[in-house]
Amino acid sequence: MQGKLNPIFVNFMLAVFCGLMLIWFFHSSVQSTRSAADNINNLLYYPEFPARELRLLVQVADNWVMERRGLLERARVLELENIALRTALQRAGSPRPVPQMGYVGANVTLRYPNAWWKEVRIDSGSSGGVVAGAPAMSDGFMVGRVSRVGENYAWVELVTSSTFLLAAVVTDTWDLGVINGDDNGNIWLMYMPPDKEFTKGMLVSTALVGDYLPPGIPVGMVWGPGEIRDGLMPLRVASGARLTQLYSVQILLSGAPGSQGGGL
Amino acid sequence: MILSAVIWLFQDLIQVLAMGFMLVPEFFLLMLVYGVVTGSLRPGRVSAWIWFGLYGGMMWDLRWASSPGVSGLINVIAVAVIYMVWNRTPLAGRGSLLFAMLAGAAHFLSGIAHYLAWAAPGGAAVRMFMIQQLLGVPALILLCVVYAFRKTGAHV
Repeated sequence: MQGKLNPIFVNFMLAVFCGLMLIWFFHSSVQSTRSAADNINNLLYYPEFPARELRLLVQVADNWVMERRGLLERARVLELENIALRTALQRAGSPRPVPQMGYVGANVTLRYPNAWWKEVRIDSGSSGGVVAGAPAMSDGFMVGRVSRVGENYAWVELVTSSTFLLAAVVTDTWDLGVINGDDNGNIWLMYMPPDKEFTKGMLVSTALVGDYLPPGIPVGMVWGPGEIRDGLMPLRVASGARLTQLYSVQILLSGAPGSQGGGL
Repeated sequence: MILSAVIWLFQDLIQVLAMGFMLVPEFFLLMLVYGVVTGSLRPGRVSAWIWFGLYGGMMWDLRWASSPGVSGLINVIAVAVIYMVWNRTPLAGRGSLLFAMLAGAAHFLSGIAHYLAWAAPGGAAVRMFMIQQLLGVPALILLCVVYAFRKTGAHV
């Protein structure tokens, strides 16, 4: 060194120090991390646009073949139910309700590895009509709820998150419980009576809880009972959507004016 | 450095396409290595690459990871170590083989560091790591060929 510090060494040490400070700063302030990440994502929104669209095209083509059979079957069942309901309404002489729901399609643009089962970021925000609290759907099942909304993006808290709480019912028995995740990919329906018999495959759907969350949205199917604690039993619920490969979601909008239909 | 910035964007676009399937190879890191060894080793220039590595890594973490600073730190250390090895190697020994070894080691160790930084390493993480490393090989070979051509051209 001959009494003089090497400038490369000085710059290296300064850069390492800055790197450590960045890790410390962002680690200690989750809000700052999210804010900075949102800014970077907004900056890259347009440069990444072609790649996102191309990915979507490939995924749609890939998923189309796999999902078509299930969707056709589901459509057939719903059609039959619809006919039965129309017939019942006509018999009762009630006016036919006007549908007031819509949805917007959105691509998943970010899913942190260490928050894999907690939240995802989507590329649709308030400009697309997305509002906080709106349910996110995939394959006809609810996969989460919009937690934060920006102009061109929103964060969706997944049903597998431990902070996710949602009133839901087992539609076959009308037993009310609370949907809760465990951050490990499992979904639980909490506070169920242990003396009741729940069979595998029973549908679990949302109960009436808020303006943006209508009742009857499928969340998953009963998979099996959990460990009884304090006289109450949690039920393990299997999601009907493919949560491990969540590339796009549909955000269900309420009947408020300005809601957009369409999507994927 | 402009080319490295373009490569950063290229890596980002490939990651957008491959999100959910795999982790893209560290093209940006490979370009950092290439940038350091293909020019003069003046302190100002090497220092610029160090800071550029930190900035690029931080931007990458903010876009794709949840612990900003880790990639930047890895890039800074990679650039510094590669400069040190390259600077201490005699001119006759600074060939494609050494470049390939340094770039390959940087890519592999960066992948390992990212893998260890993950909160929940498991089978899927190992698979993604392996795919990333395997896909990095063609990029590494291409960069070595470019380096060899450049070096040959410089001596003609």
